[in-house]
Amino acid sequence: MEILGATTSDAIRLLLSGNTELWSIIGISFSTTLKAMIIATPPAFLLGYLLSAGRFPGRWALISLFNSLLSVPTVVIGLLLYILLSRSGPLGDLKLLFTETAMVLGQIVLAFPVLVAMSLASFKAADRSLWETARTLGASPWRAFATLIYELRYGLAAACIAAYGRIISEVGCSMMIGGNILHHTRNIPTAIALETSRGEFSQGIALGLVLLLLALALNICITYLHRRSEALS
Amino acid sequence: MTTALRTFLSLLLCLPLGVASPLLQADTLRLATTTSTANSGLLEAILPEFQRLTGTEVQVIAVGTGAALRMGRDGDVDVLLVHAPNAEQTFVDLGYGQQRTGVMYNDFVLVGPTSDPAQIRAQPDATSALRQIAERGALFISRGDDSGTHKKEKQLWQLASTAPAGNGYREAGQGMGKVLQISSEMGAYTLTDRGTWLAYANKVDLELLLQGDPRLFNPYSVIQINPQRFPDLNHQAAAAFRQWLVSKPTQQRIADFRINNQPLFVPSATSAAGSLSDLTDRSERKTDLRQFSNSFEANSGSIKRKIEREMAKVGLLVVDQRQVRQAANHFKSPE
Amino acid sequence: MIYTRPAAPDSEDRGPRMIRPRELLLDARQLKKCFGKRPLLAIDSVALYAAEAVLLTGRNGAGKSTLLKILAGLESHDGGSLNYRGVQLNRRQHRNIGGKVIYLHQHPCLFDASVSTNVGYGLNKLPKNQQQQRIAQALAWSGLSHLAPRNAKTLSGGEKQRIALARAWVMQPELLLLDEPTANMDAESRQQTLFLIRRLINEGMGVVLCSHEFKADHRLIQRELHLNAGQLTERMLNPITAQPSPPAHTAPPKQHHLRLTEA
Repeated sequence: MEILGATTSDAIRLLLSGNTELWSIIGISFSTTLKAMIIATPPAFLLGYLLSAGRFPGRWALISLFNSLLSVPTVVIGLLLYILLSRSGPLGDLKLLFTETAMVLGQIVLAFPVLVAMSLASFKAADRSLWETARTLGASPWRAFATLIYELRYGLAAACIAAYGRIISEVGCSMMIGGNILHHTRNIPTAIALETSRGEFSQGIALGLVLLLLALALNICITYLHRRSEALS
Repeated sequence: MTTALRTFLSLLLCLPLGVASPLLQADTLRLATTTSTANSGLLEAILPEFQRLTGTEVQVIAVGTGAALRMGRDGDVDVLLVHAPNAEQTFVDLGYGQQRTGVMYNDFVLVGPTSDPAQIRAQPDATSALRQIAERGALFISRGDDSGTHKKEKQLWQLASTAPAGNGYREAGQGMGKVLQISSEMGAYTLTDRGTWLAYANKVDLELLLQGDPRLFNPYSVIQINPQRFPDLNHQAAAAFRQWLVSKPTQQRIADFRINNQPLFVPSATSAAGSLSDLTDRSERKTDLRQFSNSFEANSGSIKRKIEREMAKVGLLVVDQRQVRQAANHFKSPE
Repeated sequence: MIYTRPAAPDSEDRGPRMIRPRELLLDARQLKKCFGKRPLLAIDSVALYAAEAVLLTGRNGAGKSTLLKILAGLESHDGGSLNYRGVQLNRRQHRNIGGKVIYLHQHPCLFDASVSTNVGYGLNKLPKNQQQQRIAQALAWSGLSHLAPRNAKTLSGGEKQRIALARAWVMQPELLLLDEPTANMDAESRQQTLFLIRRLINEGMGVVLCSHEFKADHRLIQRELHLNAGQLTERMLNPITAQPSPPAHTAPPKQHHLRLTEA
């Protein structure tokens, strides 16, 4: 307990003192995950909608594919991407392995199934008359889709938060394809893994605190959104 | 709704979507190295100087030697700094790498709980100590990650002609620091490089129990990737990095790097050999080396020949008699 | 043009309906719709005309809603052809008929926004000031101006249906398809909704109504289409050449009138 107390106060001191290394790690975590979310969300929602409304062959196969991708361990995604992106791999010419872009790519792959599966549930729960009303009032399919997104914003935001929670705390994939390079691909989870193995617990705890606060904030958001969408229906 | 949407969209556009361009990467050098050099803090201490001199940023990927060699083979990194002589030689022989150059060395040590249940403190050398551990069924944590230390450990078990399959043998599959922590928590023995050991000595509940066996010699080499296999790697910076590592000032920096006032590595590059002899005149340097020698608890005479033999065996490019003599001298007790 | 749409939407004080040739709006031939393998609709021919009020009847589950949705371009059909003003529609044109032909759900779906935003949903291509003007007109037309700033989700069922009617009316569609607009409503709401529907018809908007309420009201409805076992049969109730219907502005329901004066 004594160690925990001492290292935690060290950790808070580190955070408050504006330790550049620490804040660079936190910055990398947020910039990669935000980029991944921005890139992954629109196509994922579109696919979620198509899967909920469309009637095409292979639809059920796709739905169960995304549902099973939800539980694929991050290290497996990491391994697959490593093999693909390695200079000797099929996409080696892109020179992406051990770059921030590779991490973003990995996080997109991780977030995508969560976004698809959860938005699919949202779209399915939505009344079909929403879409029909928009279309019959002369809205183009895109405008009707935007309206649908707006109407389902609470459920879809919860999907985003769940996906974000998965990628911000993910260590396996980032470690493998990012390489944990300081100032480039060292994010909060990989740094915690490293600092723990180095025995530098206070740095690890400082970063862990950031993640904890974030998790808390995200959970409050989810609860709030859940209550909002309950109140509406 | 529309204003909120517009704000959101403009925010999106403001966020730079970094797509790595090869042009931007031109001034970075990717170094795959072992956890022992990275975790001990050596690279953090010396690399900023390289960046200052050349403008090239070194990105360090710390993995086991096995993984590092594999990255070199696949062209995923530009240069290697590793410590597994046999594997390195094979790597070069197969044409994956070239310009293998010795940079520095330290040694491996056997550490374990202070109570020393297998009584290895009294053993004359590493192999008999390992035999003792296996016979007593004491806990032993192996790296188990195909790293340089793991390769050395397997080689030692082979030399001890004991299968490392005793009851107490555990493979951790983790970096050196983690393995020291595991050993400490479990009260187990383990083989570690001296650098990591010194960095961790006061964070773990272990004691150095055996050292000085010449078979525990641990040389580090820098290897460039064969440009014919991967022409588009940053070979220019890799060559510059190799030359810089073996240059006089860098070798001096390696020698000056200490933890708890103990040196972790001894520079061993040819070009630095002269400078080492120059430095012996300086009393400050002398005390460093004396300390290092003390910690090796080496006795003069036989150790010199042993090191010579060991260095020749591992086929270091830098086997320079003067250098070996120099190194051996440092192992002697101060006159 | 022989028949012109009223320029100002609220000009309900027109004289009695003029005798005029029927203007073909939407017609379909050999229209087929299946659910899975089960055939639901097999309609030889159906034609809808401008400024005509048609009643669509049929048992529950006969496929009335499906037929209306096909006509509105919200459902695809599995065979046959659909023509708009005599020109055959391809798939894309059929799907994008919304705005000209508007379908109203039995339980209207209002968006999570203010009542005026809802009413103006279909007007997004107009300049802002015109949008405001038209929204105000539509709200006045429906007698619900006082609800303008309210969130549409908080309205009662009757109010929702009337706002939905106003939202369709503001676009001046050529054909309005009303699917059981007064089902499950209390007497007062039903009265007020029916009042608006009568108004629509009297303004000369083409309307297809799927309802039990209008059965007796032969003065408003010109034709009745009956859907049975996927087939459509037709009955003339009030041929347009017959006695014109009386002006619409008879008397609004009492409740409604009170509200209007309150507001």
